[in-house]
Amino acid sequence: MIRDPEARTGAFASILLSPITVLYLLFLLAPISYFLAVSFFKYSPAELFIPGFTTENYSRLLFDSYYRNVIYSTFRIAAVVTVISLVFAYALAYFLARMTSGWRSLLMFLIVAPLMTGIIVRTYGWIVLLGSDGLINRLMMLVGLIAAPVELLHREGTVIVALVHIMLPYMVFPIFSSLTSQDRHLVPAASTLGARPLRAFLEVTLPLSRSGIVMGSALVFTLTAGSVVTPQLLGGRDVTMMGQTIYNLVLSTFNWPLGAAVAALLVLTQFLVISLYFRKTRGAH
Amino acid sequence: MHTDIETSPLRREPVAPQAVGQLPVEPKIDLLPLGRRAYSVLITLLYIFLLLPILIIVFASFSPDQRNTYALSNASLHWYREFFASNNFTSAFQFSLWLALVAAVLATIIGFITAYGIVRFTGRGRNLAQSLVMLPMMVPHILISLSLLLLLTVLPLMELSALIIGHVLICLPFTIAGIIASLEGVDPDLEAAAWTLGAPRWRVMVEVTLPLIAPGVLSALIFAFIISFGDVYIALFLSGPGVTTLPVEIFSYIQWESSPVIAAITTLQIVLIVLFGLFVERLVGLRTAMRL
Repeated sequence: MIRDPEARTGAFASILLSPITVLYLLFLLAPISYFLAVSFFKYSPAELFIPGFTTENYSRLLFDSYYRNVIYSTFRIAAVVTVISLVFAYALAYFLARMTSGWRSLLMFLIVAPLMTGIIVRTYGWIVLLGSDGLINRLMMLVGLIAAPVELLHREGTVIVALVHIMLPYMVFPIFSSLTSQDRHLVPAASTLGARPLRAFLEVTLPLSRSGIVMGSALVFTLTAGSVVTPQLLGGRDVTMMGQTIYNLVLSTFNWPLGAAVAALLVLTQFLVISLYFRKTRGAH
Repeated sequence: MHTDIETSPLRREPVAPQAVGQLPVEPKIDLLPLGRRAYSVLITLLYIFLLLPILIIVFASFSPDQRNTYALSNASLHWYREFFASNNFTSAFQFSLWLALVAAVLATIIGFITAYGIVRFTGRGRNLAQSLVMLPMMVPHILISLSLLLLLTVLPLMELSALIIGHVLICLPFTIAGIIASLEGVDPDLEAAAWTLGAPRWRVMVEVTLPLIAPGVLSALIFAFIISFGDVYIALFLSGPGVTTLPVEIFSYIQWESSPVIAAITTLQIVLIVLFGLFVERLVGLRTAMRL
């Protein structure tokens, strides 16, 4: 008997796709929906929250100047980190994309390696580097810039520098991919037609790498806006971002509804950024 | 009419015929207002910026005393001894290894089954399926962690199982995407042949396809292990007495004090991860595994 390779596969396909469906519905979508619903509940010190419907958590976020500042500084830091990462990552990606020697894979590995060590390791590296007896302070004292160690930690600038360090690889690879997928004859063609290198870059290379820029930026912005550990360790009390606020609201004041409201705002921004990314890249393809 | 780019009158100079996979000679391009030299300096500085914070930890771990010294002349293994003598760090390290192994194995098995289902059977809905599967990457991890913590108040689950589920969730997008990429290199005719010869679908999947993409599956496994081992956000809320991962233990320690013992631990972690990374690089290439 000969079997037809095109035979119906419905039953087998649903068996294959059911584990992930159950897993996502039960442990991702349902709990997150419930958690976001909690943002409309009332806060109660005794029982964490009382189910009901109130918008007071949201109005507190929008009208209380403390929380307004947290939201504002989160998006400001995320935007600054995204822009700085974009400039540096573009330079790196351009360099790697134009490389033809055997060094490329090693240099690529050196960009991926920090990514794999985890956020804690990279944040700790900055603590060691910038601490009062850290390398930077020592070098400055050696050169005679300063007489005594300076407090470099617990500043917004430090948080931004460390976040750029953490996010840079995420930005390099999408841009690298969009640069290497370009037709290699375009720039020579433009220069043949009389375009100077700078103009060829601005009018050919840059616009064609838009999809990589948009993807990297969306990724870096959302990851930065959601960061908790880096601002908590490097920024201390002075720098507060939404992720930290959620962490502290839930773990130290047990105000779940307010924490959930902050998280809801974060997710909302995330989805806005992602939908913007999909709209932008659809036009590119 | 056939015009060949090599003989096109627009070209100023003839280009040597290319070997397959070779790129044409690059014109001299300077990036923006930077000259070649300034550009090389910038790239070098960026590499230092990327690697210094990690290398500095390795140096600091050999400090002879509480202060970070970076001279290798008086290097000591004092902090490594300190680490092996500390109960909470060694047990957190062991727990992290165990958790990462369990999460990686689960994420790879589910990832393989899902990837196979998506590539072979979703047909026109494939793009949608592939986007939906990426869901855990699209929500902040802190939210996944908090939601699972909330779930514990409703479902009679153990903290440990919530932690494992959380880690499986964040690893899945990577394992699925990595295995999908490997599956695309498999000739469907090989499967069709086995199927025509009477093998049931699941046997085709396990005995024909799986061996063909073994390197891809192995790298997905290692990669999931790396992600799980380095995670701090999921474990941040789902840790408890006896179920604390190494990154969370380190986080709660360095919030209050800093000691080179942390440098010693993270150095061991860096060495472990970099070895794994090199292994994946050998297998399939890291960028393929990371879907970047």
